[in-house]
Amino acid sequence: MAEQIVFSIAAAAALVSGLFVVLVDNAFKATVALITTLVSVAVIFLLLAAPFVAVIQVIVYAGAIVVLFLFVIAYLGDRPAVGMDDPRPNYQPLAWVFATALVGLGGLMLAESNLPGLREEPRPVGDIGGPEAIGRAFIDDYIVPFEATSGVLLIAAIAAVLLAKRAVNFEGGR
Amino acid sequence: MSGVPLLYYLLLSMGLFGLGLAGVIRRRNPLLMLLAVELMLNSANIALVGFARHWNNTDGQVFALVVMAVAAAEVVIGLGLVVAVFRQRLALNVDEMSSLKG
Repeated sequence: MAEQIVFSIAAAAALVSGLFVVLVDNAFKATVALITTLVSVAVIFLLLAAPFVAVIQVIVYAGAIVVLFLFVIAYLGDRPAVGMDDPRPNYQPLAWVFATALVGLGGLMLAESNLPGLREEPRPVGDIGGPEAIGRAFIDDYIVPFEATSGVLLIAAIAAVLLAKRAVNFEGGR
Repeated sequence: MSGVPLLYYLLLSMGLFGLGLAGVIRRRNPLLMLLAVELMLNSANIALVGFARHWNNTDGQVFALVVMAVAAAEVVIGLGLVVAVFRQRLALNVDEMSSLKG
């Protein structure tokens, strides 16, 4: 019972704040709404027996990524009032039509699905989400993706430095 | 019945993905499009972690962690591009950023 109550609250918070992320016209407010979504998703991860992923979600997403967003928004100022949404008004509802169509198709597929245990009480699980289980999975089975991740992050860091350098050169090396 | 079936987690994941998709189509500011992309990545993570519990297996959570690392790299590059465009005094509108030139 407690799990259902927590799930309902977290899911409603995630969906409502997600709607704010999509609808609000102020970039700063949209980012703050995204924080609410990310924390609600962390609660969902806790319910799904994934405490390590939930902690990483709060540290990496709500901690690092959102701070990057807020920093860039503060750097750019409140300028981007022009071009926030698509200027063609009759194009706007199309976004909702496509999104609703996709969600409808997915719902149809879930309704037709006969995956075992999809609609039943979840079976009890062992320790699948603790740091030890995750660490063992990374080292034993997924060592190559783990190393590839370090390569991706290194390349992203180099690219960010190059992009910033080029922008400074364009402004005359300020 | 005390637990929540997998179906509801997948429905939540689908709803968030739809919201993110609508945001990406509707916004023209690259910063706000990146926010909507983050919503879609999170919805995929919910599905991955949900299936990890469903099959009593850690692999889905490992996948979710890799997705987070890729999302961090993507945000760094995306925001770097946004700042570079901004410093060249161009409008922050993806429809106008249509030419590639070194």
